[in-house]
Amino acid sequence: MTEILAYLHFVLLPQVIDGLIIGVALALVALGLTMIFGLLDVINLAHGEIYMLGGYAALTLIGWGGGWWSAIVLVPVIAGLAGWALEELGVRPLLPRHDRAVVTLLLTFGVSLVLRDLAQVIFGTETYSLPPPVSGVTFLAGIPVPLYRLVVLAVGLVAIVLTWWLVYRTRIGAVLRAAAADPEMTASFGIPIRLVYGATFFYGCALAGLAAVLLGPIYAVFPTMGHDFLVLAFAVVIVGGMGSIPGAVVAALLLAQVHGIASLWIPPVWAETLVYGVMLLVLIVRPAGLFSRLGDA
Amino acid sequence: MQAATLARRFGSAAFARRSALGWIAPALLALALVFPWLAGEFYVRLAIEALLLGAIALSVDILLGCAGLLSLGQAMYFGLSAYLTALCYLHVTQSFWLVAAIVALAVAAVAAVLGAVAIRAKGVYFALITFGAAEIAGKIVHNTRAIGGSDGLIGIPVPSIALPGFDIALRDNLTFYYVVLLAISLVFLGVTRILATPFGSVLAAIRDNASRVPYLGYNPFWYKFLAYLLAAEVAAVGGLFYPLLRGFVGPDLFGFEVSTQSVVMALVGGVGTLIGPLVGGVVITFLQSVLGSFTERHLLLLGVIFILFVRFLPGGLFGLLRRGPAP
Repeated sequence: MTEILAYLHFVLLPQVIDGLIIGVALALVALGLTMIFGLLDVINLAHGEIYMLGGYAALTLIGWGGGWWSAIVLVPVIAGLAGWALEELGVRPLLPRHDRAVVTLLLTFGVSLVLRDLAQVIFGTETYSLPPPVSGVTFLAGIPVPLYRLVVLAVGLVAIVLTWWLVYRTRIGAVLRAAAADPEMTASFGIPIRLVYGATFFYGCALAGLAAVLLGPIYAVFPTMGHDFLVLAFAVVIVGGMGSIPGAVVAALLLAQVHGIASLWIPPVWAETLVYGVMLLVLIVRPAGLFSRLGDA
Repeated sequence: MQAATLARRFGSAAFARRSALGWIAPALLALALVFPWLAGEFYVRLAIEALLLGAIALSVDILLGCAGLLSLGQAMYFGLSAYLTALCYLHVTQSFWLVAAIVALAVAAVAAVLGAVAIRAKGVYFALITFGAAEIAGKIVHNTRAIGGSDGLIGIPVPSIALPGFDIALRDNLTFYYVVLLAISLVFLGVTRILATPFGSVLAAIRDNASRVPYLGYNPFWYKFLAYLLAAEVAAVGGLFYPLLRGFVGPDLFGFEVSTQSVVMALVGGVGTLIGPLVGGVVITFLQSVLGSFTERHLLLLGVIFILFVRFLPGGLFGLLRRGPAP
């Protein structure tokens, strides 16, 4: 009995805590993806590269002596502006087309190629690590946890709660949900839909930038960091339901736990395969995902 | 121009298309036949690669252009076919025909299972399921040491094709080129023939208005299902020859890069034209190689070309010839 308790305490619990931190960061990236899809029917394949852009922006800011705390404030703005520009210049002109889901997917894929290669031109293929703003280790129930991971958890949770509050408890959120449910009707009430679309891209990409700053000190910054992360974020959005905000958060936390706990018994590469297996299973059993889409009742 | 306008007015877009494109396929074939005299060995091998990758683009077009289904995982059938081919030549048999039969059956079996699942999903979920399945297949191959893991398989022997009376040795570059050209031409001809039947018309109807087709007494599921099987087999033809060209196979053949690149090829050539994706395959493969020889930034240029096509030339190269509205 004590052996089982010790196993749960010292083997399983640290893995669960780690999974929680990864899950929160994953939720931030997935939230942006799912909001953009829920509102515009656009699958933003450049979302991973916006995340990467956030990583390099943080690296540059810190290199200039700005420190991590300046990065956490400024990088989401930079990533958001990049997202807004992507919407304004690339996605917007394609929206009237009847096959917008396909063409915007292809366009954002092209953008992702360009951004990934540009990062290689400017920063090279080396991996960089961001210095964490706080060092040291604290003990939670007898388990050592780096202090910085608690910072990630706190900032990430604040951002998630803020997003929920914005979407479900404010006037802006009501407009957003109305626009997702019926853009024409919303526009006829005098709501500037263009602005709503631009703002959604800004906010979604800002979340990706935030995630990049948060994970920078734990993982590294390198040109393909966004690509690898996007595939995972996709799995999250599919499991949670494309366009569902609670779905993205629940699925991110869930899949991060599946990955973390499975890694205890099987090699991590197979744990990753298992995550995609879960995704495929959800797609087969319930193609629309676990939760309903933004704008649907 | 007047003929095209007339054709459109009388509702026969297909007629307008055929009158503009009818001479192109034979002209391209003639060019392909004399190509080895015009270019060196390096370019002949590049042309073989272009044709094989073009097969994946053609398979994308069967789904996207003819049935309205965007697959982001067609590389899976290419990779599956390439791995099976490699494994057969390494461990089972040297008979080209036997390997082709094994590959065709295995790909049909996988496509039947996945197709039945994917086609039930609507719109963008089809793209996501195909994407997810290819991702899993790639990961499994990448993680399985028994079939080479991340290193892939090397040292694949090049067989001869046994015909009654004589053998065709694929070891010779020029012979290999003509065999691949013949294979891809036959595939192209077969696909255009199949899609010119009532089966193809029903597919087009499904693409244009899926909800109305059941009222005409057709079950869209079976038509999409058969199109999916056909597309998988077409991509598999590429995989059947690819290991012989390269001498090795790796898990990246299943990857997102190959799948999306094939969508780019279809788009650049012209979605829905069938010949366009093959031309797109040649254009993109040669462009990558030529750009790659004087700059390392070919991905960047590819991305820019891609954006420009989506944004300004959605009909692709053949869309220019067709002079009609984009499909």
